[in-house]
Amino acid sequence: MQDEMNIEKSTETTTFWVQLYSDSLYSWALHKTSNKETAEDLVQETFLIAIKSFDKFKGDSNPKTWLFSILNNKINDHYRKSYRMPVVNNDTILDIFFESSERWRKDQMPQKWTDDTDNLLDNVEFQQELDNCLKKLPPSCFSAIQLKFIEEKKGNVICQELGITDTNFWQILHRAKLQMRKCLELNWFEK
Amino acid sequence: MMQRLLTILLLSCKKATELIDKKTIVRLSFRENIMLHIHKSVCVFCRQYEKQSHLIDEILKEHLQKSDPEQVPQVANDELKDKIFDRLKKS
Repeated sequence: MQDEMNIEKSTETTTFWVQLYSDSLYSWALHKTSNKETAEDLVQETFLIAIKSFDKFKGDSNPKTWLFSILNNKINDHYRKSYRMPVVNNDTILDIFFESSERWRKDQMPQKWTDDTDNLLDNVEFQQELDNCLKKLPPSCFSAIQLKFIEEKKGNVICQELGITDTNFWQILHRAKLQMRKCLELNWFEK
Repeated sequence: MMQRLLTILLLSCKKATELIDKKTIVRLSFRENIMLHIHKSVCVFCRQYEKQSHLIDEILKEHLQKSDPEQVPQVANDELKDKIFDRLKKS
């Protein structure tokens, strides 16, 4: 009887939370993954975990904070998973930038950027270009960047957690950086 | 002889840029460091690449770490709410 009442209470509260917080959780997940289906899945899983571990929620903490911490764990799991997806055309990415002689292709040679690079992030338009360039990356490259910069972790710690070799990680990160650099050059610095 | 010396001393641009990014994750060997140094001293494009790659690192670090749930554009999704209610009922 007591159990039934508890279940009823947790369902009722969780339903209330869905009404209140699902939009902001979804907006955040969408921002972090750039994918509608992934974001929806992550938010659904967040609420399923919330209802299952309802007992662990302490009434004195903020439910929104609690839900966001579940969601952020889910988002990190998602990066780890998608990082492990095989990189399609791994070498094709490098072939875009370098000739078979391993020199820069003429149209890919890094150009001089304007020196005015201070406070770039205060510029909303620049932030948008940065997000657009991130979204254009292949999933494994996107995830490698997120894993590197979100939590200020050393490369070898990330690799241990992912169960991959250092070599693999910096090679993927290198491909990500080549593409980000070119994308920012085309869409911002050369404009 | 000269040819061999050159291939030992000079990296290709492809390898040099790889080492530039590798260096931000793991420590390079003594030999790798020397080779990279020599390559950069003669290649303006790889010097440019290194500078810009480091700038992108700084920008991404700040951008990704400071992003805040309260500041992202809010998107309403009522369909998702219904999906969640369905799943909660089943669970």
